[in-house]
Amino acid sequence: MTEHLEIKGLKKVFKTDDDEVVAIEDFSLTVKKGELISLLGPSGCGKTTILRLIAGLIESSGGEVLVAGNSVSGPGSDRGMVFQEFALFPWRSVRKNIEFGLELSGIPKAERHTRANEYLEMVGLERFANSRIHELSGGMKQRVGIARALANDPEVLLMDEPFGALDAQTRNIMQKELLKIIEKTDKTILFVTHSVDEAVFLSDRIVVLTKRPATIKEIIDVPWPRPRDRASPDVTAMRKRILDELEKENVMIG
Amino acid sequence: MFEFHSVGGSLLRYDPESRLHRFVRSLVITVTSLTLLVLTWWVGAITLDITFLPTPLRVYEAFWRLIDVGDLATGLRLQDHIVASLRRFVGGFLIAFVVAVPLGLMMGYSRTTEEFSNPIIEVLRPIAPMAWAPLFILALGVVTGPMMVVFIGVFFPLLSNTVFGVKKIDSYMIDAARTLGASNLQTFYKVMLPCTVPYIMNGVKIGLGIGWMCIVAAEMIMAQGGGVGYFILNNAEQVGNWPNVFVGLIIVSFLGIITTGIAERAHRVIISRMGME
Ligand SMILES: Nc1ncnc2c1ncn2[C@@H]1O[C@H](COP(=O)(O)OP(=O)(O)O)[C@@H](O)[C@H]1O
Ligand SMILES: [Mg+2]
Repeated sequence: MTEHLEIKGLKKVFKTDDDEVVAIEDFSLTVKKGELISLLGPSGCGKTTILRLIAGLIESSGGEVLVAGNSVSGPGSDRGMVFQEFALFPWRSVRKNIEFGLELSGIPKAERHTRANEYLEMVGLERFANSRIHELSGGMKQRVGIARALANDPEVLLMDEPFGALDAQTRNIMQKELLKIIEKTDKTILFVTHSVDEAVFLSDRIVVLTKRPATIKEIIDVPWPRPRDRASPDVTAMRKRILDELEKENVMIG
Repeated sequence: MFEFHSVGGSLLRYDPESRLHRFVRSLVITVTSLTLLVLTWWVGAITLDITFLPTPLRVYEAFWRLIDVGDLATGLRLQDHIVASLRRFVGGFLIAFVVAVPLGLMMGYSRTTEEFSNPIIEVLRPIAPMAWAPLFILALGVVTGPMMVVFIGVFFPLLSNTVFGVKKIDSYMIDAARTLGASNLQTFYKVMLPCTVPYIMNGVKIGLGIGWMCIVAAEMIMAQGGGVGYFILNNAEQVGNWPNVFVGLIIVSFLGIITTGIAERAHRVIISRMGME
């Protein structure tokens, strides 16, 4: 398989008036097409910063990001992003939110409609196509967020704690939904979370990060096919191993 | 506290859940309160018995006379005064809107524009709109002069609300648009502009209220040209026709309620249409 997303020596220093914060230091990672990689690390370690750098929303202080072989600079529709805060457009209907990216690239109305239908169905929101955003529950909102990003057919999907604002039960449902979506679309996904359970349940590989500045502490292969049984001895053992290790490092998760 | 009969005739207690009940309740309270105001006025007018305070009946009669034949002091009919005021008011408002909204959007968007405009704005803002009136009226005449006073009154609240709106935009929405492939221009008119509309409407609402006060006041320092303010001043000063003055006051109140009422409603409709309540 080809290297679909390559991050080479990424670095980010935030400069404030009287201070410099090194958020990311020499971060390198290679992701294959169709892989789901979790970035797991304590809050404030720089996970969001890594995603925003890849998305091109902020400029790096060094290093390079390649998507399908092309070096990226600035935001682009080849890298979709899903936000913990949903970041939906409340003045647009669910359908119009999903069509947003297609509208930007000047795709004709009829085709937009067909494509939106496809993604509405994928996330199970056909009946809510014409609903307003404020009428939706948190889980439904994030379905719209995912559908909106996917409708652009990006090479890479960046998800920043997408289920972090949801209650535990909705979260579990959404994780399963995401697995179904992955099966259909075979997207390359970089998934930020601070939940060990979520990382083990979803990922092909888990990238465990250190405290700030974020560097890679360990990359863990999760070998079992999905869907996984959260309660199986293997899964439980891996969860415990990661938690122990994080604790040993005296690193607070959350 | 309020009890009334339903359509079916059965006795109903006040039910705060029911829209009809809430509407009838507030209608009853409003009518009672206004009736009390008129009654107090009437009793006061009869007891005091001074020319400065005519009875509501005399004001009512004056109103119809003013509609039919106009007044001696100005030689114009009431509706002509109203049209003259509204024309200046609408003109001043529109000019303010066309200038303040684009400027506010630019100031919210670009730091440099804001830093450049702020000193000018802060120097001009403390000057009460009415302080400009003599200058504007002498320099620009009795139509454009008061119009520019309205412009000043509407301009500042509209500007600051627009700037505030741009600054309040959720930065995640901008990020979302950019990751979906939006150019700067597309981000501006597909995200920033819609986000700002409710704030602009709030500025319009406040601006209309201030602008309406400005127009009546500004018209009072003109020697000619019609307008409700002009009408009030002349009837007081030239002929001492106090019933006519009261008609003028009531018209000012009434038109003010209508203009701000329309803006209030538009504001609410837009906010709910945009899913931003
Ligand atoms: N725009 C910024 N300016 C200055 N510091 C920032 C900025 N964005 C993030 N940081 C800092 O970088 C570090 C990493 O932040 P972030 O990537 O949001 O962490 P995480 O997503 O892992 O919780 C934090 O210490 C944060 O304070
Ligand atoms: Mg974060």
